[in-house]
Order: sequence, then C-alpha cells, then structure tokens
Amino acid sequence: MRYQVVAVPAALISLLLNGAALAAQDNDIQAMKAEIQSMRQSYESRIAELESKLSKIESQKPSAPQAVSGSPAPAGNSGRNIRDNSFNPSIGVILNGRFGGYSEDNSSITGFAIGEEGERGKEGFAVDESELNFSSNVDDKFYGSVTAAIVREGNEDKIELEEAYIQTLPGMGLPNGANVKAGRALWTLGYLNEQHSHTDDFADRPLPYRVFLNNAYNDDGAEVSYVLPTSFYSEIGGGVFRGDDFPFGGASGGGFDAWSAFARIGGDIGENQSWRLGGYTLSGDTGGRAGNGESVNFTGDSNLYAADLRYVWAPTGNPREQEVTLQGEYFWRSEDGAYEDFAAATGEVAFDEHARGWYAQGVYKFLPQWRLGYRYSRLKTPDVPVGLLASALDAGGYRPEAHAVMVDWTNSEFSRVRLQYNHEELSRSQNDDQILLQYIMSIGAHGAHKY
Amino acid sequence: MKHILPLVSFLGLIIAAPFSAQAKVNLFACEPEWAALAREIGGDEVEIFTATTARQDPHYVRAKPSLIAAMRKADLVVCTGASLETGWLPVLLQKSGKASIQPGGVGLLYAAELVRLLDIPDRLDRAEGDIHPEGNPHMHLDPHNIALVAAALTERLKLVDAANASSYQAGFDAFSQKWRQAVQRWETEAAELKGVYVVAHHKSFAYLLTWLGMRKAVTLEAKAGIPPAASHLQSLLQTLRQDPARLIIRTPYEPDDASEWLSEKTGTPALVLPFTVGGDAKSGDLFALFDRTISLLKSANGV
Repeated sequence: MRYQVVAVPAALISLLLNGAALAAQDNDIQAMKAEIQSMRQSYESRIAELESKLSKIESQKPSAPQAVSGSPAPAGNSGRNIRDNSFNPSIGVILNGRFGGYSEDNSSITGFAIGEEGERGKEGFAVDESELNFSSNVDDKFYGSVTAAIVREGNEDKIELEEAYIQTLPGMGLPNGANVKAGRALWTLGYLNEQHSHTDDFADRPLPYRVFLNNAYNDDGAEVSYVLPTSFYSEIGGGVFRGDDFPFGGASGGGFDAWSAFARIGGDIGENQSWRLGGYTLSGDTGGRAGNGESVNFTGDSNLYAADLRYVWAPTGNPREQEVTLQGEYFWRSEDGAYEDFAAATGEVAFDEHARGWYAQGVYKFLPQWRLGYRYSRLKTPDVPVGLLASALDAGGYRPEAHAVMVDWTNSEFSRVRLQYNHEELSRSQNDDQILLQYIMSIGAHGAHKY
Repeated sequence: MKHILPLVSFLGLIIAAPFSAQAKVNLFACEPEWAALAREIGGDEVEIFTATTARQDPHYVRAKPSLIAAMRKADLVVCTGASLETGWLPVLLQKSGKASIQPGGVGLLYAAELVRLLDIPDRLDRAEGDIHPEGNPHMHLDPHNIALVAAALTERLKLVDAANASSYQAGFDAFSQKWRQAVQRWETEAAELKGVYVVAHHKSFAYLLTWLGMRKAVTLEAKAGIPPAASHLQSLLQTLRQDPARLIIRTPYEPDDASEWLSEKTGTPALVLPFTVGGDAKSGDLFALFDRTISLLKSANGV
C-alpha cells in the first residue's frame, strides 16, 4: 500500500518532467534524468526502510505471555526445514576404501565352512563397500530406509541390498516403547550386528562374526522390540525371518524358517561410566547352506546364542576429549544336521556338535581426533564325526585366534583414516601378518549414532 | 489357568507402574540450563531428569542406555535444538516410542526455535566445519532469551499437566518478575564490559558477548567442531599482537591447552566461565550463573 501511495506522485512527476524535457536542451535532459533518478532512489530507500520497520514490528508480536522483552524468533524461523526438507528423503553416502597387504597368500579359518563376506578382504588397493542410504518418514505412522552397498565381487561391481525396511513411528499408536520393523535389516543380535560396518572400531569384523554370521545377519523378516518402563534401561524383543541369510540358507519359502529373541539391560555408574549387557538367540532350519565357496554344504538346525557387554568411561562424562570403550561378545552355536564336503568327497555325514567363539576389545581415545585400539578374538572349533575327518571341517582340535591393533584419526564427524595391523593364526602353521590402511568418509545426511 | 493368573498380575503391575508413578510430570532436559529453568517454574510439581552436565560438550553425547530409560518416561522434553543434539537426541526420541514427544508434538520444546539466532551461516558447506544451518545454538547466555523460553515452557507445562496450570502460572509470574529485576541489575553491573575485546574457544559465548556489547574476536577453533590447529593459533597470535584482547574465555568442557598457550604468549588472562548451571561451585541456579559469569568477567577485566 505504502509503496503505491508514494509511487503514484513519483510517476506523475517523472511524466511531467519527461514532457517538458521534449523542448529542452540535451544537456538539460541529462541533468533532469539524473535528478529524477536520485529522487527515485531516495524514495525507494525510504520505502524499503519503512517496510523493514513494519515487518520488524510485526515479527515482534508476542505469542505467549511475555514478561521480559527479548528477541523472539522471526515468523517462519523453523530452522529444521532448512536441513531436513520434509518432502525429500535424507540421502547419505559412505565412501570406503582400503589398502591391504598380507604375508600369507591364502587364509582359511580351519574347522568352519564360512560365507564369502567372512573371508579375508582383498589384497592391494580396493574400494570397499560404498553405501548409499535413503531414509525418511513415510507418513505419520511409518519410517522407511534403504541402504544399498556397491561391492566388487570377482571382476564385477554389484549392488547388494543391505537394508530395506520400514519401521513404525510413535504415531502408530503402539504402546509406548514398542516398535515394529519389517523388511531387510541388520537385526538385533549382539553388539556389532545392528551397526553398519562403517561405524566399527576396526577395519574388519572379529572372528566370531566372520564364522557365525558371515559378518552380519540381515535376513528378510520382521522384529518387534519393547523398551520396558523400568527406572533403568531394559528392552526385550524378537523376530521371525525367512531363513535365507547365513547362518541359514535354502529357505523353503513356505513360512518363517528362523526366529530370534533378545533381552538387554543397561545403566550408568556415576556420571562418567555407562554399560549395557545383552543376551540373544537366533535359531532356525537350514535348508542348505553353502560354505567355503560352494565346496561345503550344511542342512539341518542351527541354534546360535550370544551375549555382549559394552562399557564406556570418559573423564567428566565428556567423550569429546577422551574416552575408553571396552566391548566383548561371546557366541555359542550348536548344529544338528548333516555336512557334506564336496572337495573331500565325504558324502553327507550326520553332524551334531557345537562351536564357540569370542572377542574382546578396548579402544582408547587419547586425543579428540586420535584413537588407539586392540582386539583379541578366538574360536573353539567343533569336534567332527569320523566321516568328516580330513575334510575342511576337521580342525584337529586347533583353535584359531587373531590379534588386531589399530590407530585412527578422525578429522571431523564425517571423516576417518585408520591404520590396522592384524596377526592371524587361523589354521595350523598359518601365520598371517596383515597391514590395513583404510579411509571412511560420509557425505550427505548422517544419522545419530547408537550407544 | 493357575499359571496364567500370576503372569497376568505381573504384566498388570508392569503396565500400571508408570501410571501410579505419574503423580508428577516427568521432564527430560537435554542441558542443565533448561533443567534449572523448569525447576524455577515447575517447582515440586515436576520431576526433572538432566541428560548432560556442565562438564559435557552437548554436541557430543552418547545415546546411553540410561538416557533411553529416562526418555521412555518423559512427558515433556526440553532441548536447545538448532541441531545441537542431532548426534544423540533422535535415537532417544525414536526408542521412546512416545508420540507426544516427537518433533511437532506438544511434549517436545526446542528453545532455539523461540529466539532470533546469531551466526546463521552464509554458506552451507561441510568444508566450513560442523556448522549449524539454523544458526548458533548456544542461545541461553542471553537472559532475554531465557525469558522467552520461560514463557513457552510455562505454556507447555500447562498443556501437559492441566491440573497444575495455576501453579505453573504462579511459578512463571514469580520467576519473570525476579528475572526482570536481575537482568536490569546485570546490565547495570556489566556496563563497564561494553566494548571489551574477547577471544573465545568456540562460538559458545556469542549470545553473552552480544548481549553485553563486548567485542568478539575470531575463535580458537578455525572451523567449528575441529580442534584448533597450530597454524591457526599462530596467525591468531599475530593478530592479537597487533590488536591485544582483554580476555580469553572457554567453557568448563573445552580443553585448556589452546587458550592457555595463547594466554602465555600474549599475557592475556585465560578464564573458564561456568557456561551453564553447575559449571562451577558458585553457579547453582540460573540467577547464580549470570551473577557468577558477570563477576568473573569484571574481575578479570579489572586486572
């Protein structure tokens, strides 16, 4: 309104002046034009000033009982929309590359038939898994997330669907603390399984994860969890799965071949220490699970039990400067069925034995950007029936073990470079010294970290 | 049937437990300043859980099991927002499974959304460090901002616990009257600090310095969230030799090495300000926090 009121006389004046200018001399025209220009500019700047004063007054209207005048947020200052546009999914990319140098040409874990992911990584320079993640609230009741990993297998780049799940939002109306997740996800099992490998403290997964879970269990299925309304943290849950991902395989497809259950508790010790303890089980029918490439097959029941403990200490409770994390997991697996080693031509041999494994690690953040860590892992191989003697499953009582030492530098929340040394004795008379140099970078959306 | 009865009564106990314990409003405060403010307004009607202490950097907190348990019980969550808690709060909110405390819900109050933020970045690029696109989140050290948050918090408390609405209004009235007088007193006391030139570790004190009209130099961190590099400190030293600062300030949770080094080189006193409630022995509540901050600044400036 104000602008128009001032603009009309301004336009009239300029018209009149323009009319008179027809008869005037050229240099007079120039002078008048300059004058008009300066008048226009001064009017416009005054208008702008008035407008900004008006909007300031409007934005300072109090919306709540206000006793003291301050500087309230300007209207429409909802900052969250800048970062996370509600109509676009969050997009995040993890870039991950490494150089590996090994003293042994071959590495195999004796006594176990393992999946491909559980094997030693490639030697030389390699781009590890590059992860693409898209996630967003679907509507008021559901959240959805997809993580695809681009991996090199053989000489081809392949896309692996690591996760593709939906999860209920609190708006669903489930009891407080309850949550349902369905699709493909890194399910709740031990500490590391539900973490994406880029958040790991070491460049590779510890031995029990390599032999029992092929690095991670991310079958298709659904899981329910419930945080109990107790004064300390406690959570219970369980799931049903297709039974197609290691340690299962060859699902009949007729239903759910595998199921899980878990319970966790945790708390603080004073202001500077916190801990969490969990117990887990994962059981199911294995229709036919290939291991060691395609050379070993297992059919039967697999029952896996696990326990994990994590403890974190930071001076004054401030993990920014210094922190110590201790973590350990124990796995116990019984298998009842039949193994066949094609390479050793054993034929199907009845098998009812158990194996176990554990690891423990400590990571010390001694400077805000530097961490030092050590991990020890060990496996107890299963005894084998006579029919499997001299097959890939016969460890002859040998117990594989591995040491890992790492140091990493974290420039910011989004980048990390790590140097790791491994000494692995995974089979009798096999001494593998490994050097791993790794970078992990994250661009785009970067979610909050779990405990 | 015999076995089912005790099971049912046990389950009943578990489900009933939170209701019987709900005599008070459970308030989850992300930072000590909001816990202190809730105590001023809510008094005994509110059971307050404080997620962090003054010795912890609120940018970097783990989503600890104890925080999940506390969030599970919360009726009202008061946090700073503006991405300050983005590394841990989303996990807690999701795990809680409570609809009322999700973003947009009546049970979640972000203080930074109520005030005009400083330091809104011109360029959104991660090369600038750990920047907050919404602006500087450390807005509690301007007492006028505290007053705005107090009003909004009172409204939320009334919505969450309508039965005690009058008690919250009374708490707010008493607090805001006391606060208004205190702010006037602080502004008079701190008049001599106007224009005093200060170096800070991070942008943690931007609101305090702006409120008191003090002059801000560059921060010890060249880029937010990335520890001070030696080359940056050297160039800062050159700048300060040309144009000496009066004070070098930091929070209780920031490391002392960079500010002590610069203090030694330039002879400018380095000072730890309480930053929030509980930041030192004499900063027990919000009034004490500002009293203490101003008296520390004045005595260091007077040297």
